[in-house]
Formats: sequence, structure tokens, C-alpha cells
Amino acid sequence: MTRQPSDRSAGTAEVPAEGLSTSEGPSAVEPGDAPAHAPAAVELRGITKRFPGTLANDAVDLTVRHGEIHALMGENGAGKSTLMSVLYGMERPDAGSIRIDGREVSFSDPGDAMAAGLGMVHQGFKLFESLTVAENVVYAAEPRRFGLVDRAAARRRVRELAEEHGLIVAPDAGVGDLPVGLRQRVEILKLLHRGARTLILDEPTAVLTPAEADALFAVLKSLAAQGRTVILVTHKLREVLEVSDNVTVLRDGRVAARLRTAETTADEIAAAMTGRAVELDRVHPPGTPGDVVLDVSGLSAGDAVRDVDLTVRAGEIVGIAGVAGNGQSELIEALAGLRPVTSGRVTLSGQDITHASAADRRTAGLSYVPEDRHAVGTAPAASVADNLAMGHHRTALSSRRGLLPPTAARAHARRLVERFGIKASTPEVPASALSGGNLQKLLIGRELAHDAPLLLVEQPTRGVDIGAIQNIHDELIAYRDAGHAVLLVSAELSEIHGLADRVLVMYEGRVGVTYAKDEADERTLGLAMAGGTAQQPQAATQDGDGD
Amino acid sequence: MARIPDLAALSKALRSPVTFSVLSGVVIGALFLIGTGADPLAAYGAVIAGSLGAEGIGSTLSTGTSVLGMALALAVPLRAGLINLGGDGQLVLGGIAAAVTGLYSPLPAPLTVVLALLAGMAAGAAYAALAALCENHFGVPLLVSSLLLSYPAASLASYLVRYPLKEPGSSLPQTRRLPEGVALPAFGSSTVTVGLLLVVLAAAAYWFTDSRTAIGYEIRMTGLNSRFTAYAGVERKGLTLRLMATSGALAGLVGAIGVLSFPYRFLDGALTAPGYTWTGLTAALLAAAAPLGTVLASFFFAVLQVGGLSMERTTEVPRELTQVLQAIVIVFLAARLRFPRRRKSTDREPVAQGEFA
Repeated sequence: MTRQPSDRSAGTAEVPAEGLSTSEGPSAVEPGDAPAHAPAAVELRGITKRFPGTLANDAVDLTVRHGEIHALMGENGAGKSTLMSVLYGMERPDAGSIRIDGREVSFSDPGDAMAAGLGMVHQGFKLFESLTVAENVVYAAEPRRFGLVDRAAARRRVRELAEEHGLIVAPDAGVGDLPVGLRQRVEILKLLHRGARTLILDEPTAVLTPAEADALFAVLKSLAAQGRTVILVTHKLREVLEVSDNVTVLRDGRVAARLRTAETTADEIAAAMTGRAVELDRVHPPGTPGDVVLDVSGLSAGDAVRDVDLTVRAGEIVGIAGVAGNGQSELIEALAGLRPVTSGRVTLSGQDITHASAADRRTAGLSYVPEDRHAVGTAPAASVADNLAMGHHRTALSSRRGLLPPTAARAHARRLVERFGIKASTPEVPASALSGGNLQKLLIGRELAHDAPLLLVEQPTRGVDIGAIQNIHDELIAYRDAGHAVLLVSAELSEIHGLADRVLVMYEGRVGVTYAKDEADERTLGLAMAGGTAQQPQAATQDGDGD
Repeated sequence: MARIPDLAALSKALRSPVTFSVLSGVVIGALFLIGTGADPLAAYGAVIAGSLGAEGIGSTLSTGTSVLGMALALAVPLRAGLINLGGDGQLVLGGIAAAVTGLYSPLPAPLTVVLALLAGMAAGAAYAALAALCENHFGVPLLVSSLLLSYPAASLASYLVRYPLKEPGSSLPQTRRLPEGVALPAFGSSTVTVGLLLVVLAAAAYWFTDSRTAIGYEIRMTGLNSRFTAYAGVERKGLTLRLMATSGALAGLVGAIGVLSFPYRFLDGALTAPGYTWTGLTAALLAAAAPLGTVLASFFFAVLQVGGLSMERTTEVPRELTQVLQAIVIVFLAARLRFPRRRKSTDREPVAQGEFA
């Protein structure tokens, strides 16, 4: 089998032939009982959608067969979300046609799409946190008895669905108490309950840990094996290679490539996404550590952080890996002065900051890139200049007696925009107008500009395009090489592996073993993240080296 | 060249929800007038003539003094997203503190006036700070603590002027008249006093702080995202305390100005009856606490308040109509309606079709 030509845009007459050729291939596609010439589950032809100033989709074709896991890839703004909005009836296309199971359809709202057998799991889940799993699953399609909701039947139905698809979750659990991985299962159960035959998942692993992602993939594969169809919208290469059958790559609103997963590589997909060759998962050479900058001993903060010891030296990046929710965020907040410390001791450049305020810590030499760019790291409604001034407004920018001349803030903004390649038309545009990657560059640029001895950085490239990821990684390495200490928290193991000189794994609030750069491969870390750390005898020596 | 951005700014201002709300209020008010058989042009003419004409301008400016003062008092915390609902209490305490100082200060009259102003500000500031402390230390939401603290303050003042401070022989709940000379100088024979100047200076100081200082920047950013400023090290409790004290000081200043102007005494209810606190809050909300906008909105409401009275006298349209206008403006503003943008560039045309398809 050769890769399918990307100019395959002709009419529907061609489709059966293609279907035939695919089914001969060695791919994992299991068409199930459907004959090879059956119409595609979803077929988009020539979808065009304009928004003010942008052509979000330009004559996009997408064909997804029954029982297939089809990955739709592209960087932020490539048109993936628009295309799925069109398919799901949330946007009307300006041109083009949609066929479901061979029948031409026209959806005016998501209800129509659901009636046609489509179901979508949105990136931000749409669940009632105060209700139970069963109540959420049957919502708007409740089993009834005498005109009332039959709760027993609802619970039964959820249990059956859960067992049938390996989506185990307790029907009576409150959704608000569930971790994200389980909430996602509830979303999927909701769709299955309504009889969705084609499932669209928008960036499903953005909030998942590697283990949760693996569990999700197993579920998706089993759904596909039963003949259901899955469209996976994502920009993560690894998971596409792992789980999908075919890949459609969008770039600038057009189809950049159609690939068979079995015959492609991460580099090929990345090149199609970015339009140039990209070096993926580069492992940066280690730094040359100097004096200890951050020294944490016996630090506890409530129940979330327990008796944590760690050190970070100048010229060193220490990575903290771990499944989300094991205390990483709380540890960083405690170090940044945003969460009270219950016991232990923290020194920064020899200065005791255990109970210092956030402001005093910054004065002592700490800067911080928080995980949540929108709610914590910036004020999205404020201008780029105002966002870049934060933290500098009392030091570099304000002259005598607390005056803050607007010209100084603007000049400062222009310098950082230039230095960090932030794409903003003027410093006066609101930060909310920036793309995810640019907003992150703004945040990282602002914090790096403090030139503080210690940088705390959480999830530096979450939701950021591949091109910008490289740029951000290079900035962090350059900052380290300039003799600063960096404490990095990331859910991306490849990121930790590529950047960190030493890696700590956090599990249930504790930091266990320290791994040196060369032993911190993804398999070892993945194991430790699941709590299986005890079998690392060299841990003690590594820790000793570190101090 | 320089004209084009000006035009753009003008068009932006015209399309803003504020313009839309004000114009809608005027139009719907006109419909009300027609419905009751009145001539809207005559009624609006009477509002304008009565408030801005030679007869009314003095009254508008003295009303405007109080409205602007209270609007500033409420705008200062509002800029950081805090709402001070205790303006009445702070206003009244400022008034009573000024009256007591004016009556009992042994100093010469000019110094007594200054002292009375400062006493009024101090009283208002302390009382508002109390509300902030309730939030900071006991977790009582500021909205609740400031509002509830307002009532005992008003009652205390009421008690004082009915018993210990009551003017002997008078049937009214009021203090004695302040001694000769203990009054804010007035402009000519009008009721407009130096108080207007003080309030305008406060507005200028607010503008300067807001746009030119580090603390003003922190306040603005806190209003836009308080977690953002907390992350950057702005101490929230301290900021709340300082903003509330400033707010209370301004409200107290308005109270002191009220006592140091005609009728030169504290009369129970006289400071709160005109509803300056609520008109001021409305003006501050209308302007989203922006300094210049707060000044303009205050003036607008002062015009409505004074013009409404005059309209009632000359056209038999009840002055409540101006309150209807105020209400409509606020409702529209809350709905954030605005004039649709005119589509200029050709590439936007297909979008319009898409939107309405």
C-alpha cells in the first residue's frame, strides 16, 4: 500500500473503490460486518468556512470509514475545531456537503447531529458537577417510568454500558468528586447511552495522565472493534501513532496530508502540520550545576504536599514528573507563596522564605510561570503591555515614588515582544487576542525578564503549537545556561526527559526517587508515576549527588 | 493623518454600550411622554433649560458636587472589583464628625473648616475600614459588611441630633447652626462652594493614580483578574483595606462638604435623602469606574436630577420620569447592548451572509 494521494478530492463515485483498496491493506481497520464498498461513516466534501479576516476551512475533504479511528491533526488555528463544529451542527459551512452513512445531511444544531448518530466529547467537559454519574449519563434521554425518571433503570443502564465498554465508573459517584479521567468516561458513556455511532473527541488527552490516556485508547480501540467510528481531534503525535488508523492533517484551513498511520512517522506528520521539518523531542545536553539556589526540606502543605525534600542548583533544570493531582501544583504554589506551608523549611539563595509573602519571595529572587495562563498568569482583558508590566511595575518600570509612566510600560512591552517573538499587532491589544502559544511566550518572557535566580515553571508548553514548543524549550535551556535554577513541572514526559538535568517523581504528595538525566527514560518515569518506585536502589546515591 | 484615528476613536465611543444605553433611555422616555400626552421636546427642553440654564446651573453644580464625590467614593474600590455599599453610613458619619468639629473646635474659623473636612474624612475612612476588616479577618463579604454597617451609623447620627446634639428649642432633629465663618466659601451668591473644587481635585487625583502610578496599575489589574495580581505578589487584604479607607474618606468628605454648606448644620436625613450614594454608585458602574467616565456620568445624573425638578415645575411632567430614564439607561447597560458595527471591508460581506443564513 502506498500512501493515499492527497489530491483525492473527486466526487463520491470514487469512494467505493477507495474503500476497497483500504480494506485490503494490513492496517488495523476492522470494517466489521460492513461491506468494503459501504458508504463512509462520515464524509465531508469541500467544506469551506470563513470568519472575519480568516478562511478557517478551505475546501476541506474528510472521509472516515466505519470502525475506523481517524485522527484529525493540526496546530492551533489550523481549522480542526471549525471543521468539527461544522460537522456537529454548531457552525453552518459557507460551502460543501456532509454525508453520514452515504445520506446527505444538513444540521442546524448539535441536536440534529446527535439524531444522526454523532456524538462529541468537548475539550471542556459539559457535565453537572453536583449530580451523579448516572444522572449525567441519562440527562436529556432519561429512562422513564410513569412519566418520572426511573433512577434504578438509569443506574442499571450506566452499569451495563460501563461493563460492555470497559468504562468502569460508579453510577452513584458525584461527578464533582471524580478525577478528570473518569469524568471523560462519563462523557463517553453519555454519548453511548444516546446511541452515538460516531464519536468525536476534541483533544481528549489534554487533561489526562499517560496511564489515563492509555486506558482511554484501549476503550477507543474496543469501540472501533465493535464497529463504532472515532474521530480524534488532537495535536499530539504520539497518541495518533499509537491509536489511529488514518490521519488527516490540516494546515491553514486546508488538508495538508492524508496518511495511513501504519506507514507514516511522527516526523512526517509534524512536517505536514508545520510545513517544515521539525526536530521532535530533542534531548538537550545537560547543564553545569553550581551552588544550591532552592533548598526545600521536609516541606508539607496541608494533605497535598507531604514531607518534600528537594534542591535546585544554579545552571540546572530539575523536573517534577507525576500524574496530575499528586501534589505538583500545590508544591509549586507553596514555593511561590500562594499556599500556606504547614511544616518544613524553604531557603532561596540562603534566605529563609518558608513563610514569606509572594511579594517577598519575588524580591528574594523567584519568578514563576503558572500552569493556568488565563486564570492566574495573565489578565486576559488587559492589554499586552499591562500584562507584560506585571511584576516589573514596582521595580524596573516605576521611577521614584511609585510613578509608573505609561511610556515606560509600552517601551518595556515592545522590548519583550521583540525579544521573545510574541506576535501582537500592538502592545495595546488585549492579551485575550493572542493565540495560546503567543500568550505563553508573553508569560514566559515576562518571567524570564526578571532574571531571577530561580524560575518555577509549570506545564510550559501545554496547548502550544509544535513550532512554539521548540522556541520555549530553547528559552528555558538558555535561561539555565545563563546560570539560573529552574524547577519544571510537566505532564509531558518527553518534555521532562528533554529538558531536565534531574527528575523527581511526585506520587501522593511525596517526592520519591531522583533520577539522573540518563536514567530518566519515559518507561522508568511512567512506572514511578504509578507509584512503583521502590525498586530503584540507586535513588539514595542520586539524592546524595544532588545535594 | 491625525484625524483618522480621532474619527476611529469617536466612532468607537459612539458605538459603545454607554451611548446606546443613554440614547435608548432618551427614546423610550420620549415614548412614555407621548403616551401620557406630554410633548417630549418640551419636557426634555425643560430638563436641559432647568439644569444648564442660568437659573439651574448653580444647583446642578452643587448637586454634582455630592454626586461626583459619592461616585468617586464608590469608583475607587470598584476599580479593583470591590463594591462598597456602605456609602450612606460613611457619608453620615463624615457629616456628623464635621458638624461636631465645627461646633466645638476652639480654633479660628478657617482652620476649623479644614479640621472639620479632615474629621469628616477620617470618620468615613475609619468606618469603611471597619467593613474591610470584617471581610479580611472574619470572612464577611465586603458587600454585606459594608451595607449592614451602614444602618447603625445612620441610626447613631440620628440619635445624636435628636438628643445630645439637638438644637435647643428647635422642633427639628438637627444640630445648632455652625458658628459664623465656619463654612466653605461659596462662589458669588450661588450655592456652589469650594467643595466642588475639592471633589474635582479628588477626581484629578484619582485619574492620575489610575493611569500613572504603580498602585493604580495594581488596582486596575486586580479589578480585571484578582488571581493574577495575587500571583504577582499584590497583597489582597492590604489593598482592600486601603481602598475602602480611601472610599470612606471620600464619602466622609462629601458629608463634611454637605454640613459646611447651606444650611450649615447637620439635619437628620438631609445628607441621605437625595440618594447621592445610589446615584453615585450608578454613575461609577456606568463608567466601569474609569476616572473620566465617572466624572461625565456624575454630571449627567446631576443634570437629570436637577432638570427633572425644573421639568415638573414648568411642564407638569412628574420628575419621576428622570428616574425612569436613569433606570432604562442602567437596564440597557446591564444588557451590554451596542450599535452594530458597520461593515466596511469587502472581505467581511460573505461573513454577514454566513451569519444570517
